[in-house]
Amino acid sequence: MTQNFYHVLISLALVAVALGISWYEKIRVEKDIAIGTLRAFIQLVAIGYALEFIFDLNKLWLILLTILVMVMAGAHTAGSRTKTLVPGVRISAFSIGVGTFFTLGSMLILGIITIDPKYVIPLGGMIIGNSMNASALALERIDSEVKNKKAEIEQALALGATACQALSRSYKITVRASMIPTLNLMKVVGLVQLPGAMTGMILAGASPLSAVLIQIIVIYMLISAVTITAVITTRIAQRGYFTKAHQLVERMV
Amino acid sequence: MKNQMGEIKLKLERITKRRLIRQNEDMEEITVLKDISVEIKPKEVFAVVGPSGSGKSTLLRLLNRLEDLSDGSIFLDGQNIKDMDVIALRRKVALVFQVPILFDGTVERNILFSLKIREEPNLEGVAEKYINLVGLKRNLLSRNSNELSVGQKQRISIARALTSEPEVLLMDEPTSALDPTATHNIESLILDLKSKIGLTIVFVTHDIEQAKRVGERGMVLVNGEKIEEGEIPYLLENPQNSITQEFIKGILT
Repeated sequence: MTQNFYHVLISLALVAVALGISWYEKIRVEKDIAIGTLRAFIQLVAIGYALEFIFDLNKLWLILLTILVMVMAGAHTAGSRTKTLVPGVRISAFSIGVGTFFTLGSMLILGIITIDPKYVIPLGGMIIGNSMNASALALERIDSEVKNKKAEIEQALALGATACQALSRSYKITVRASMIPTLNLMKVVGLVQLPGAMTGMILAGASPLSAVLIQIIVIYMLISAVTITAVITTRIAQRGYFTKAHQLVERMV
Repeated sequence: MKNQMGEIKLKLERITKRRLIRQNEDMEEITVLKDISVEIKPKEVFAVVGPSGSGKSTLLRLLNRLEDLSDGSIFLDGQNIKDMDVIALRRKVALVFQVPILFDGTVERNILFSLKIREEPNLEGVAEKYINLVGLKRNLLSRNSNELSVGQKQRISIARALTSEPEVLLMDEPTSALDPTATHNIESLILDLKSKIGLTIVFVTHDIEQAKRVGERGMVLVNGEKIEEGEIPYLLENPQNSITQEFIKGILT
């Protein structure tokens, strides 16, 4: 079956259920639900039209531009979450960008996908979403690592370690921590949740087996992108906490 | 130059250190050390004595460039430390902190830290040599660092600082976290190290009696200013300056 606008209107009944419960139980999230309902509608319809346009035009520059805009949006979300010493948005933009373009590029070169917006854009979206989380987690974790382990780091520096050596444990902990959501996803995929790509394909009428094949590729692609993003974010961010003379920057002392 | 090298190990020339600190909401600049000049001879035990908050620790941090000074110069064997490679400097001028911080892992791993990060090839017998030098038994080597007493930890941290064969050992209140017996042991170790390996030792203390027991020469530091300097115990028994007199009488602590 294909859904139309009429079905959307009917599904508002479910929102009414939520509103009713919120009102009756005095949870007072009616306003949030109302705004969220409207927001989701407007954003998704807008993106629907935009994608329709991009798919129809099918131009390489437009695909690249779309991916770039998504990277910047992801970087903004990841980088401005925490107040840290380092320029988070710029670091995230670079590391998410590298992770995304490397992964998508490899898939194109290896012939797994073709330059077709219907592959590149949704896959790019998934990559960027996961990389964004990895980058945000890395920025936050490295900041708390340096703050909490200041004494240990300075002890290593005092013994003639470079900034990089003094931080090597924190570096590993940070990269690992920022990969956890994706590593967990790999563990439970199919058991606990049917991920978005697969769900979407099954809903759209694809056979579960072909949906599974795509999903496996998606998982492999995500782990590559997330690893690259986590490593680059942490590597660049950690430099921001030290001077060239392998000292913690003054504000940290 | 040649003459200078023979007679002066460390020369501090009008050094000043200002630092930004957060005062409620605003950043405020404070002067931690004010225009200090002093010369430290090779192989002497030099005591920096003063009440807490007088800038003693900061002085040591400047000497191995965990921080940089705001004005003035520091010379090691006649060479400005700003022009030296900072890692090489920290291997020549080792710093032992007030509270010993051992890294996770065995005692042996801790002692060999600076050699391992430099990928020193031959470590046979090195850990044994240094644990012996600080008066601990070699069977401690395989123990986990967090199983030791604070006194043992401080001795391990001294052993760890000595493996890079420094010429100067900086000690920041090395006994303030220790009980009287452990304090006594560390004090004898300091004197021992001086006679055994001819180290130049600069140690910081707020304890006048300790300065008398261990120091050969020293200076009194109050509120970031050098009050006076001279031979110990003469300096501390016949203070010329009223501030030193107050400090010794225990009015300033």
